[in-house]
Amino acid sequence: MALDQIFSGANEDFPALLRRQGILGGALTSFEKSAASIEPQQGRWAPTESTTILAFKFAGGVLVAGDRRATSGHTVVYDRADKVLEIDRHSIMAIAGVPATAWEMARVLEHSFQYFRRTQLQEMSVEGKVRALSKLLRDNFGFVMQGVGMVVPIFATYDQTSEPAARLYFYDAMGAQFEAADYAATGSGSPAVRGILYYENTWGEKPLQKREEDEAVTIALRALDTAAESDTATGGVDRSGKIFPVIKTVSRDGITTLPEQKTAAIFKKAVA
Amino acid sequence: MIEEPYRWVEAIANRREYIETQLASGSPIAAVGYCDGILVLTLGRGRQKIFEIYNRIALGAIGHPGDIERLRMAAIELASTEGFTRSSADVSLRRLAHYSLSPLMKAAFEQVYGPPYLARLLFAEVGARPEEDLFLRVEYDGAIATNGATLSQLRQDFAVLSANRQSTELMESFLKSSPLTNAPLESAINFALNAWSLGHMTGGHNGAKEMPEPAAIGKHLQEQLTTAGIEAAVLEREVKTAIRYRALTDDEVRSSIQQ
Repeated sequence: MALDQIFSGANEDFPALLRRQGILGGALTSFEKSAASIEPQQGRWAPTESTTILAFKFAGGVLVAGDRRATSGHTVVYDRADKVLEIDRHSIMAIAGVPATAWEMARVLEHSFQYFRRTQLQEMSVEGKVRALSKLLRDNFGFVMQGVGMVVPIFATYDQTSEPAARLYFYDAMGAQFEAADYAATGSGSPAVRGILYYENTWGEKPLQKREEDEAVTIALRALDTAAESDTATGGVDRSGKIFPVIKTVSRDGITTLPEQKTAAIFKKAVA
Repeated sequence: MIEEPYRWVEAIANRREYIETQLASGSPIAAVGYCDGILVLTLGRGRQKIFEIYNRIALGAIGHPGDIERLRMAAIELASTEGFTRSSADVSLRRLAHYSLSPLMKAAFEQVYGPPYLARLLFAEVGARPEEDLFLRVEYDGAIATNGATLSQLRQDFAVLSANRQSTELMESFLKSSPLTNAPLESAINFALNAWSLGHMTGGHNGAKEMPEPAAIGKHLQEQLTTAGIEAAVLEREVKTAIRYRALTDDEVRSSIQQ
């Protein structure tokens, strides 16, 4: 541990601290596709990618779900990837895109929030947290233009002091943030998921925000199963391997990860 | 001055005296182990004195606010970058204090043309088991005192920080005389409050030189509690989340006080 003599706390965020110490790479400023850049295409190198994630508000807060598959081109690399990540006690980030970049972003984000709280002696605001992720995406855009490292996340948080308390955001690869009123989905399987969530929210028994947890889980599992039906990059449910999507909810009491047995039981009852 | 060793020694001695005078009015801080972790406690009227450094590390400090702030920032930066590049399990108070803060404070203290740090620091780190709890005090000259968790000496599950050496020693002997074993938080709060009261009575320029009577300690505490706020935090051993530090509110602590 080398000690840095520049004490900065008040005017520097955590990514800037990491850059000053040479731990985090700087933002790529050249957005041009060069001949030397790696073209991800069939038969050549392709980055590992992951899809599909969805989130919607329900009676208890926000539910965030993601399938478990990671692919590279047409190859399934991993079937137990966790794309729904806890950032702090009340924030969840879900990722579609390149896990290498996304997991690093999640780590930076997690430490950023804690670093802010510890140095400034106050919790970062929801707007500040949403913006922090936006900045990380913006800094990553050079890699996106080179054809590697695209990340399209969803960010869900619960803040009692704000109105509404349950907040849900999705982003594009450049870092634009969009606040979702009811639901969000990203990744290659998301068109199907969006269709289902729109349908359920508009013409279903009741709007998504009025659904209890079990109903919400049923909708999430059905949506992911539908996405997996037509999208090879989405894992859905592996019945033989007993691999189920990761489902987390964030509410006033913090984040809860749905136990696998419960997911399996609801799946058996309402989906399979 | 470098060519004249005598003047350097004299300058250091003056500087030590100056710093001791500056720190003499500080409110003591007590850290004690209890059944579920570590309690850090002090009474104060002004600014915050107990801080979260990392998931399992707490800091209590007396001294100049500006210097405390710089040292606190340095500690958080070091712990955060270590926790980010490796893992939060690799963040260790022993390394933080011995390899980083102590050399920094010693260098500042001995470079007589530059300003020293006007601060005393008390760190506590909660381990997986009570035997692994670490209590550590770093002085303005970089000297470190630990509870013996890293050396072959008798372990103590407490540490104190006070305005002067005599007050510190009296607080330590008070805590040593009736050790808590596996006590609930409530007992630890009362124990720490009494230790604070003793430290407060014996610190300062006109502090008592001898160990006061228990009744006097209690009386002094009651008087102080009417005007001062209680600042306290715990490091909890058995919680599900990575962050073990939790600040206690004044009400939370007051409701545990036994008359």
